Amino acid sequence: MSTNVIGKSITRPDAYDKVTGGKKYPVNYSLPGMLHMKILRSPYPHAKILSIDTSEAEKVAGVRGVLVPDDVPKQYFTPVYFVPHNAPSMVQDFVLMSDTVRWAGQPVAAVAAVSEDIAEQALELIDVEYEELPTVFDPEEAMKDGAPQLHEASPNNIAKAPSFAFGDMDAGFEEADHIFEGVYETQRVHTCYMEPRVCVVDSDTDGRLTVHSSMQHTFGLREKLAYALDIAESKVTVVKPTYIGGGFGGKLDIGFIEGLAALLSLKTGKPVRGEHSRGEDFISTTRNPIKVYLKTGVKKDSTYTARSIRSILDAGAHATHGSEVIMVHGLYGTFFPWKCPNQLWEGFTVYTNNMIGGGYRGYGAPQGCFAVESQNDEICETLGIDPIEFRLKNTHREGDPHPVLEGHKLASYKIEDCLRQGAERIGFDKRKPAGSSTEVKKRGIGFACHPLWVSGCVGFPDIYEHSGATVKLNRDGTADVISACVDLGSGQISMLTAVVAEELSLAPENVRVVYADTDTAPFDAPTHASRATYSAGLATKAAAVETKKRLFQAAAAVMEANAEDMVLEDGMVMVKGAPDSAIPMTDIIARAESPFIQVGEQGPAPTTIAEKGTIIGSASQAPPSNPSPVGAQFIELDVDTDTGVVEILRVVYSTDIGQVIHPNSAEGQVEGGFQQGMGYALMENLQFDQETGACLSADFLDYKIPTSMEMPANIESIFIDSNEPSGPYGGKSMSEMCLIVPAAAIANAVYNAIGVRITDLPITPEKILKALGKL
Amino acid sequence: MALTSVQSFYSPEDSKGVIELLAKYEDSALIVAGGTFLHGLVSRGLLSGIEALINIQKLGLNQIDVSGATMTVGATTILGQLQSCEQVQKEAWLGAVKDAMTYPPVQIMNSGTVGGSISSSCPFFDFPVTLLALDGNVQAEGGNGARTISLDEFFAGLFENSLEADEFVTGVTIPVPASKSTSAFIKMETNANDLAIINLAVSLSMTDDGSCAGARVFAGGGVGETPVRCSAAEGILSASKLDEDTLEKAGQAAADELDPLSDHRASAEYRKAMGKVLLKRAVTSAIGRLA
Amino acid sequence: MKQIIELDVNDEVHELAVEPYDSLLRTLRDRAGMQGTKRGCDSGGCGCCTVLVDGKAVYSCMTMVMSVIDKKITTVEGLPEDGELDPLQQAFIDAGAVQCGYCTCGIMMASKQLLADNPNPTEDEIRKGISGNLCRCTGYQKIIDAIKMAAAS
Repeated sequence: MSTNVIGKSITRPDAYDKVTGGKKYPVNYSLPGMLHMKILRSPYPHAKILSIDTSEAEKVAGVRGVLVPDDVPKQYFTPVYFVPHNAPSMVQDFVLMSDTVRWAGQPVAAVAAVSEDIAEQALELIDVEYEELPTVFDPEEAMKDGAPQLHEASPNNIAKAPSFAFGDMDAGFEEADHIFEGVYETQRVHTCYMEPRVCVVDSDTDGRLTVHSSMQHTFGLREKLAYALDIAESKVTVVKPTYIGGGFGGKLDIGFIEGLAALLSLKTGKPVRGEHSRGEDFISTTRNPIKVYLKTGVKKDSTYTARSIRSILDAGAHATHGSEVIMVHGLYGTFFPWKCPNQLWEGFTVYTNNMIGGGYRGYGAPQGCFAVESQNDEICETLGIDPIEFRLKNTHREGDPHPVLEGHKLASYKIEDCLRQGAERIGFDKRKPAGSSTEVKKRGIGFACHPLWVSGCVGFPDIYEHSGATVKLNRDGTADVISACVDLGSGQISMLTAVVAEELSLAPENVRVVYADTDTAPFDAPTHASRATYSAGLATKAAAVETKKRLFQAAAAVMEANAEDMVLEDGMVMVKGAPDSAIPMTDIIARAESPFIQVGEQGPAPTTIAEKGTIIGSASQAPPSNPSPVGAQFIELDVDTDTGVVEILRVVYSTDIGQVIHPNSAEGQVEGGFQQGMGYALMENLQFDQETGACLSADFLDYKIPTSMEMPANIESIFIDSNEPSGPYGGKSMSEMCLIVPAAAIANAVYNAIGVRITDLPITPEKILKALGKL
Repeated sequence: MALTSVQSFYSPEDSKGVIELLAKYEDSALIVAGGTFLHGLVSRGLLSGIEALINIQKLGLNQIDVSGATMTVGATTILGQLQSCEQVQKEAWLGAVKDAMTYPPVQIMNSGTVGGSISSSCPFFDFPVTLLALDGNVQAEGGNGARTISLDEFFAGLFENSLEADEFVTGVTIPVPASKSTSAFIKMETNANDLAIINLAVSLSMTDDGSCAGARVFAGGGVGETPVRCSAAEGILSASKLDEDTLEKAGQAAADELDPLSDHRASAEYRKAMGKVLLKRAVTSAIGRLA
Repeated sequence: MKQIIELDVNDEVHELAVEPYDSLLRTLRDRAGMQGTKRGCDSGGCGCCTVLVDGKAVYSCMTMVMSVIDKKITTVEGLPEDGELDPLQQAFIDAGAVQCGYCTCGIMMASKQLLADNPNPTEDEIRKGISGNLCRCTGYQKIIDAIKMAAAS
C-alpha cells in the first residue's frame, strides 16, 4: 500500500511544547482562588476507626474544609472504569472513605486549605482513634479458614475465583512422556509514571463539576466520579488532558484525589487541587503479584498434552483491577497463548492487608509469561529440545481461528518470523550450554516469546470497548481532530495526526488534535490494553472518511461532478483520472463555510444550499476484531558470579505489529518497555513491613528503576513485515507486548549463564548467589 | 513535605555568626550547605521542630589546600570540586577519593558537600568510609574554639556525632602519607543513584619491594550504625605480599568482622559476603594504581 | 513568614515572596510561575526538577532557595536564544527522544552542563551525565541519540 504519512516517523506534534517547558501537563493547571487538598492516611493496615476529632484542624487559619468518612456517600464501586450497573462481573467493594481501614495508607480524612503548607499542618492536628484488627499479608494464608476477614461478602478473602477448562486432564497427563511442575512468583511493582497524580476540581452553584485530572481515561473519570458522588453523569465535565506525564496503566483508576477534591469543592464552593506526593503515588497503584502453580505434560515429539495452572493473585485491601487482571492473566497470559489439548486454569483474587492494586502495562500477562516461558525453557533444557522449534510446535499459526474470539482468525500472526529473525540477529546458534562458562563473569543468551495478546479490549468475555472521533476541516486547509483518547506519552497524538493526515492527504503539521472534554467529544475507552492505535485509530480514520465524503458532496456542486467519483490528493479535490478538474480543497471549504454566496473566477457561481455547512465528520464504533501482536525477545547478558550482579549487554526484540504506523514511536515503545521489563526482572520491588504494613520503598531512593547506566547499550527492534487486514492501514497495537516478555527472556538468559533457575522475581544479586550456593 | 516550622534562614559570613546562632537555637537549628541530606530527612518525615536554618556557604570554606603535609578540604567544598582536584585525579594514595567521586550523579556532585557528607553521620554514605581509610580528621569550630576530632571518634551512631551543640564542621584534613601509598573504594548499588548496599575503602602503604607495610580497611552501608573498621583484615594485609592467598584470607577476615543489618535492600548474609568480594577487588584495584 | 527576595532566573530578576524553607523548585513553579521545571518526587530521586545554578546542574527540589539568591538560575525557559531553540531542544525533537516528556526538561538541563563541560562526550560519558535523571518511557536510547546529535551540531 502506498502511503504519504503512515510508516514514516512524523515529528511528534507535542514535542515542541514539551521541550520548551510543557505547559499543558495537568500538574500545571490552576484556577484563581484554588484551595489545596491534603489527605490523612491510616498508619495501620487493618483497623476500625472509633472516632475522628477534626476540631483543632478546623481552627487553623486558612483551612476551608475538612472531610471524614461520614461525609462521603457510601457508594460502592470498583475504580476500574465501569460503573456497577454496566459491569456485573466486577467486584464493587470500594468506597472513597470508610470507617474500616484495610491497608496502611488508606485515606481517613482530607483537608482543603488556602495553601499546601496549611493543609499539611492541619492534618497533623486531626486526632483519630483506631482499634487495631488482626492482619494478613500473604494471600495463601488469607485463604485459610480462620484468617482475618477483610470483606464480609468474601469468605476466605476470595474476591473472585474464575476458571476455564477444556479436554480431559487425567487423560492428558496420562498421555505425557514427561511432566513438569513449578511454582513461579512475581512481586509488587509500580508503574513509576514521572508526573504525579493530580487533579483540580471546580464546582458551580448547581453542583456541576468541572474536572482536570491526570487520569488516562476521560470518560471513565466522569462515569466513576458521578457514581461515587451519587450525581448525574451530565453534571460532571471532565476535560481531557492535552497530554500526561506517563501512565502505563497506573492512572487508569479514579484515585481518591478526584472524589475527595470534588466533595471539598462542593463543600467550599472553591476549586480544589489535589496532588500526590511520590510516596502517595507508590502506595496507590501496583501490578498485582501473582503466584503461579504450573504443571505441564509433554510428549517426546515436543507437543503439550496437558496443562494445569493455578494462579493466586494478591489483590490487597480491595479487588480494584485484581478481579480483571486475574481474568486477563488466565485468558491471555497463560491459557490461550499456547496450543494444548487439555487445560485447566483456576484463578483466585485474594484480599490481604497489602496496598491496593491497579492497572499496569501488560495487565496480568507478564506474570503469566514469566511462569510459562520459564517452564518452557526448563522443558527444552531437560529434554534437550531446540527451544525455538519447541515454541513453534506449540504456538498457533497464521490463519488459525482466534483461540478466544469465536468467528475471528489470526489473520496476521508471524510468530515464526519473530523467532527466527530474532534468533539470527542475536546469534542464538552460538549460545553455549547453560552454566558452561568457567569465568567469574558468565555470559548468557536467552529468549522468551508471547504468542497471544490484544489490540484492545474487544471480545473479552463481557467487554467490547469502542472509540469515537470528530474531524473538522478549516478554511485554511487544516483539520481539527476531537478525540477523547488520551496521550500518555506513547504517541497517540502522533498516531491520530498521522491517520487523519493520511486519509485527508494533508501535511501532518496541518492536522491538530484539539481540546476535548466529555461534553464535546464522543466516548472513548481508556488508553489501555494496547488499544489506541487499533480502536481509536480506526474510529478516527472512519471520522476522516466521513469528513472526506462531506467535502466531496460540497465539491460536487462546484465541480459539476459526482461526489463518488472524486479523490483528494495533495490538498486538491479532483475527479478520479482527470487532474485538470482539480480544485484546492480550501476553496471548497471556504465556499461551504462562508454564509455569503461566493463568486467564482468565471463570474457569479452562486453556492447552493446543499453545499453549505462545515466540512465535518464523526464516527463512533467498536473495532471489528482484536488482532494479536506477537513478539520474541532475545537477550545477551553477563552475570558476575562473585557479586550476583547482572549486566544486560544486548536486546533484540522482534515483533509482528502489522504495518508500523510511526516507526520512531514503535522503537520508543520497545526501548521504554524494556526499561520497565528489566526493572521488573532484576530490581524493582515495592516492599512492605510485614508487621506494620508500612511501605519500605516509597521513594526512588529505595524503589530502584534502571537508569541510563544500567540499561544496555543496544536495544534493537525488528518489525516483521506484516499487514493486519482489519487494522488501520494494516496496523495493530503494541505497547504492552514490550513489557510482557522481558522478565521471562532475562530469566532464561540468566539460567543460560549460570545453569541455575530463579523462579521468583526480581532476580536480585542475592538470589543469584544463593542459587549458586555462594550464600 | 515542607519544613514549615522554619522561621528563619540565616547566611552568616563568619564562623562567629554561625556559633552564635547555634548557641541561640540549640537543637532547633540546622546547618545547611548543599541541602541534599536535609531534604532527604524532610521528605521522610524525620525532622521536626526546626526553627532556623544556618547556611554556611558564605564562610569561604570551599577551599582545598594540598600544599603541606596535610591535605585540607573545607566543609563547603562540593564533591565535584573535590573530584576535579588534580591530586585526587593523579595520586594513587587518594585513589579511594577518586573512586568514591565516580558514583554520584552530576546533580549531587554539584550540591553535596564534603562537610555535609561527614557531619550528617549517615552510615550509608561513601565519603566517610573513604576518609576513614585515609586516617582523616574532622575540623570543627564552636564556642570553645576550633578543634580537631579524629574521624574514629567523630561518628557516634546513626545520624549522631560527637559535635557539641554549638559546634559545626569546618573541614576535613587528610595526612599526606610519608611513604608510598595507594587506596581504592568500591560500592555496591542497585542503580546509579543509590545509597550503598555496602561500600568499602582500603588504603595501603607499600614498601619498595611491593609488600604491604600497613593497611586501613573500612566498610559502610548497612554494616552498622557507623562505618566499621576491619582490623583483622588490616592485620592480614599488613606485612604481606598481597598475593591471592592473602587477599582471600583478608577478605574472609573482613567478612567475619562485619555484623551487618538485614533490610529491604539486602540481607546481612549478602552484605557479609560482599565485604569479602569488595575487599579483594579494592586491594587489587589499589595495587593496580601503582603499576 | 514570607520574605521578599530577588532571584535571577534566566537573566531576569524576579521579585518573589518566599518562605524561609522554600525549595528552589517550589519557588520557580509556585512563586515565579515557571512551570517548565517539574516536580517528580521532591526528594532528589528522579531529576525532573534539574536546573542550572551558576551553570551547574542541581536538583532544584533539594536546593533551598535562600541559599542561591545571589546566583544565576537557568531553567528550560532560558534555553532558547534569540527565539531559536537550543540545539539540545531541537535534537530532542528530531531524535524522537520525547515521549511523555515529563523528564525531558530536567534531562536537557543536565545535558546542558554535560555539553558545556565536554562538547564531544562519549556514549559512556553521556550515560553518566544523565544518570541522575529517570525516564520511564524511552529506555534512554533516543535521549542518548539526541544528546549525541546536539553535540554534533
